[in-house]
Amino acid sequence: MNRLSTLTKQTEFKRKLVIVLALIVLWIAFGFINPAYLSYTNIMTILLATSTNGLLALGVSWPIMTSGIDISVGTVMTFSCVLSGVVFNSLGLPIGLCIIFGILVGSFCGFLNGFMSAKLGLPPMIASLAMQMITKGLSLVVSGIKPVYFTDCSWYQKIATGNFLGINGFYNAIIILIGMCVISYIIFSKTIFGRYTLAIGSNIEATRLSGINTDNWLIGVYTLCGTYAGIAGLVLSSRLNSAQPALGPGYEMDAIAAAVIGGNSLMGGEGTIIGTLIGALIISSLQNGLRILQISTETQYAIIGFVLIVTVAFDQRRKKKKESR
Amino acid sequence: MKKKLVALLMVAGMLATTLFGCSSQTGQESSADAAAESTGETTEEADTGTETETTAANEEDNKYIAMIALGFSHQYWQAVKQGAEEAAAELGYTITFEGPEQETMVDKQVDMLKTAIQNNPAAICMAAIDTGSVASILQEEKAQGVPIVGFDAGVGEEESDVKCSTDSIAAGALAAEHAGELLGGEGKIAIIGHSQTVVDAVERVQGFKDKIESDYPNIEIVDIQYGDGDHVKSAEIAKSMVTAVPDLDLIYTSNEGSCVGAYNGLKEIGKIGEVMLIGFDSSAAMKDAVRSGEIVGAITQDPIGMGRAAVESAVKLLNGEEVESFIDTGCYWYDASNMDDPEIAPLLYD
Amino acid sequence: MSKEVIRMEGITKEFPGVKALSNVKFSLNAGEVHALVGENGAGKSTLMKVLTGVYSKDAGKIFLEGREVNFRNVKEAQNAGVIMIHQELNLMNHLSAAENIFIGREFKKGRFILNKKKQNEEAEKLFEKLHVKIDPREKVGNLTVAQQQMVEIAKALSFNIKVLIMDEPTASLTDNEIEDLFEVIKMLRSEGKAIIHISHRLEELKLIADRITVMRDSEYIDTVDAKDVSIDALIRMMVGREIFVEKQKPVERKNLKLTLEVQDLNAGPQVKNISFKAYAGEILGFAGLVGAGRTETARAIFGADPHSSGKIIINGKEQKINSPADAVKAGIAYLSEDRKRYGLALGLDVEANISMANLLKMSKGGFIKFKECSENAEHQLQELSIKTPSIKQLVKYLSGGNQQKVVLAKWLTKDAEIIIFDEPTRGIDVGAKSEIYKLMNMLAEQGKTIIVISSELPEVMRCCHRVLVMCEGRMTGEVTGDEVDQDIIMRLATQREM
Repeated sequence: MNRLSTLTKQTEFKRKLVIVLALIVLWIAFGFINPAYLSYTNIMTILLATSTNGLLALGVSWPIMTSGIDISVGTVMTFSCVLSGVVFNSLGLPIGLCIIFGILVGSFCGFLNGFMSAKLGLPPMIASLAMQMITKGLSLVVSGIKPVYFTDCSWYQKIATGNFLGINGFYNAIIILIGMCVISYIIFSKTIFGRYTLAIGSNIEATRLSGINTDNWLIGVYTLCGTYAGIAGLVLSSRLNSAQPALGPGYEMDAIAAAVIGGNSLMGGEGTIIGTLIGALIISSLQNGLRILQISTETQYAIIGFVLIVTVAFDQRRKKKKESR
Repeated sequence: MKKKLVALLMVAGMLATTLFGCSSQTGQESSADAAAESTGETTEEADTGTETETTAANEEDNKYIAMIALGFSHQYWQAVKQGAEEAAAELGYTITFEGPEQETMVDKQVDMLKTAIQNNPAAICMAAIDTGSVASILQEEKAQGVPIVGFDAGVGEEESDVKCSTDSIAAGALAAEHAGELLGGEGKIAIIGHSQTVVDAVERVQGFKDKIESDYPNIEIVDIQYGDGDHVKSAEIAKSMVTAVPDLDLIYTSNEGSCVGAYNGLKEIGKIGEVMLIGFDSSAAMKDAVRSGEIVGAITQDPIGMGRAAVESAVKLLNGEEVESFIDTGCYWYDASNMDDPEIAPLLYD
Repeated sequence: MSKEVIRMEGITKEFPGVKALSNVKFSLNAGEVHALVGENGAGKSTLMKVLTGVYSKDAGKIFLEGREVNFRNVKEAQNAGVIMIHQELNLMNHLSAAENIFIGREFKKGRFILNKKKQNEEAEKLFEKLHVKIDPREKVGNLTVAQQQMVEIAKALSFNIKVLIMDEPTASLTDNEIEDLFEVIKMLRSEGKAIIHISHRLEELKLIADRITVMRDSEYIDTVDAKDVSIDALIRMMVGREIFVEKQKPVERKNLKLTLEVQDLNAGPQVKNISFKAYAGEILGFAGLVGAGRTETARAIFGADPHSSGKIIINGKEQKINSPADAVKAGIAYLSEDRKRYGLALGLDVEANISMANLLKMSKGGFIKFKECSENAEHQLQELSIKTPSIKQLVKYLSGGNQQKVVLAKWLTKDAEIIIFDEPTRGIDVGAKSEIYKLMNMLAEQGKTIIVISSELPEVMRCCHRVLVMCEGRMTGEVTGDEVDQDIIMRLATQREM
């Protein structure tokens, strides 16, 4: 009786194993060409580079699991930290409050995305496209098209680049990323929220007809995504010690790419949190490696696009095989 | 906070105008005309300046200059805009100042130019992301007697009547001279550029490279990468450069985003001081770092003067005056020692 | 005279954890209608999917006209003249009938220009051959199911077919439409085509089939001549045991507790002033023709669709039901006729589906109590004898009957008081059918209120204590006990408004 359950687990495990292997192969290959790639400092550099995109990818994988999408995460990230900084500088509120406010701005943008798609019936792509434009514009307006500095708070930059654990080079941003990944994983695998997210992605109508208020859960999913964007904004602005209002457009695509490389299907109904994180790691490891090999910037883009095709095509083939077996 | 509110209202107003503009082409034109006329009247009443200028403008009956920049959101462009607006107000002209949100969006910029032409500008000032893409449009306008002024990155030689900009090759060379001095003529340098298509961005790198290669045979340029002027990308690039070349001595960056990004990157791996950093342009963050010596120095241009020069040249051309074909708006090296000097301080902006 | 077109030998196919086909053989002659019967999950569809290249076989051989073939995909099978019409029709609703027929093989002028005229003429010819009147220019979405099926058959004919496989073609057709379909099948047979007919309606096989092959539990059982076999014998072969369902006796009305009362419910054009009462311990039937508004009534009561007026009173208290969530809270459960679309999250496992409606109760602070969930799921597997390798099996790999039971398990987990079954046995085989009936009885005995919507009169008569009949959105009558009779129900079901 238990044969199958182990079987499904095995394929699931195999699937994660494949991308973990891909990551390891990547590391070994780059490390072989230039040993400095595998130095402690560089590994920490890769992890730190993953922090923003990783947080965005963790966020965006939630709507993706419901077969939705949120393409506003990049600009919402910027908007939340710009607002937080403006409030900090103009109202002089304690920085802690401003940080929470910034994250809540992200949550609220996510909430609006969810509201638009669940209650007003906008396709998630359109709803979040609108949100992307709105937040992009408002970031520039609110900041007066200037970077918003957090220099009045001496330790703001330490939020991301300090090392809380006392291990040199092990930045807080990495800890935040791991922590948020664990939280996502727990929500995904242990709570009703995770279960309903998958159910909605698998069959929203059947879920609704099971007496579940799918509208509210969907709004929750997008709010969670927005919250992650808000936290990404905190990490980013802390790294730069400033909120750069023009930053953000384009970041959503890296995040979606990470989620997809990690094994999340845009059709929804299945998901993987660890995979998303590894997907984000693959992207930044690749970027870092190509830079260290001094490969020209334009070639780097092409190579990453190619990797996206290969991983997703591989995943599709594996799925088809499983279906027809 | 009030400022923000005003800004919001302006955005709303702009939106409304665009909407109406979409609904009827003629409406848009007439409203633009009306705007030009009304400003014309106010200047006539208020203007105490030379008579010739006023009459010339009256004959033309068009006091609208379209300015299209590489970007918009960056404070550098806001400084150019400020200079241009000041000059326009003094001379009794109205300007529009536009630019795509990223300095790579060639297509958006072309659209902006086309839209601006719909409003029949008296003159066009332009910094083209890609000179080739706008060449034919500008030539057509030029043939109709519309003066074309290139500023900053400028436009193609054939199209432009005047170019007001920093001599980017010279600016790059200036940075290279200081780099050579700082290194004592020996060492390894890496470059973080911000664009491979924008002419002046390319020239800033080229001028630097040429100068080093010709004057400092013992200095090696080990890597050139491009980070789109994005702070985060530039930070990652700087870090990977140090990893790839552990004995790197100096990084030269070609704009503010690249510089601040590289600064953050070096700071994150504790290489500030070990690896010197030379920047370009300025911002609050850059100024602080230069003052503390963490950035050894940077090149600044004169964006306010550039905006001013562009509008002034355009007006001169409209008035039929002679103008030199290239106006160098200058560039200056600044570091902790001279940044508060009266001739430098006004050129550094937040 | 009979030339063998298809021979399959020793076909074996395994899915993860399930042996779907075990050493199955099958033979098909030209000019014959060969019926394939068996319970759901017996392996009929899998066998046909192996034949048409949808699945690859693990072992065995397939011969087409004596030559061994091994189709790797549907297209190869199609080119060889082996075509399957699936139960869920495979048409594009937004395209016209002609466009659907010739999709991928459009008639063209030159290389790129479509020749619509020629295409419509060719489609017209095919429809004439089938003696059906369908405008080739009509969008398929506007056609009836029967007409859509004819479009599929026309599409099949437009290839040079040797073998036509039809999976449950009569499942959603009216009697007249079935007759028309059979005429077409007979015509194809007379032209020497070989037809495989998969069906659960054993009665109709006697009318159309020449030979019948029975499958059970992934294995080949026997092939018999249709003339010589009785329905009882067929059922015995299919289930491997006798099946007996007794007719319901009317329940003593006095002792019943009124649980659901609906007053003057209006919802859209198909639900007009519906009023009725349902009692605990009673199985209430809803009879009527397709389109009479029974499903719409159920969906309105369940809050799946909005209603414009009317009261829904549960256990004496009026309930505001604006969404399924409200209905579920009030103790109503609804098992849709289309369980794949409305009942199950196919990509999730058995346990997740069973727990879905009651998850709030089986969790603490948002965290799922996994032990409680799996214990309950295991319990339901036993109670309802759901056949699955484990509670972690994905629901999409279960057979129709077992899927239906999973939906039921979900509602029993939620402890729903009023359970509405909408066509509970559609697409379910004889054996599983009687199990579902038994379950409904059991639930009624436990004091639940059971409402059954069914288009199959024998089913209504067999399992309901009381039957309400609807026609064109209105309630046209109520029959109890001995009155529950085919003629009376049919008369009420066709009692149209003047």
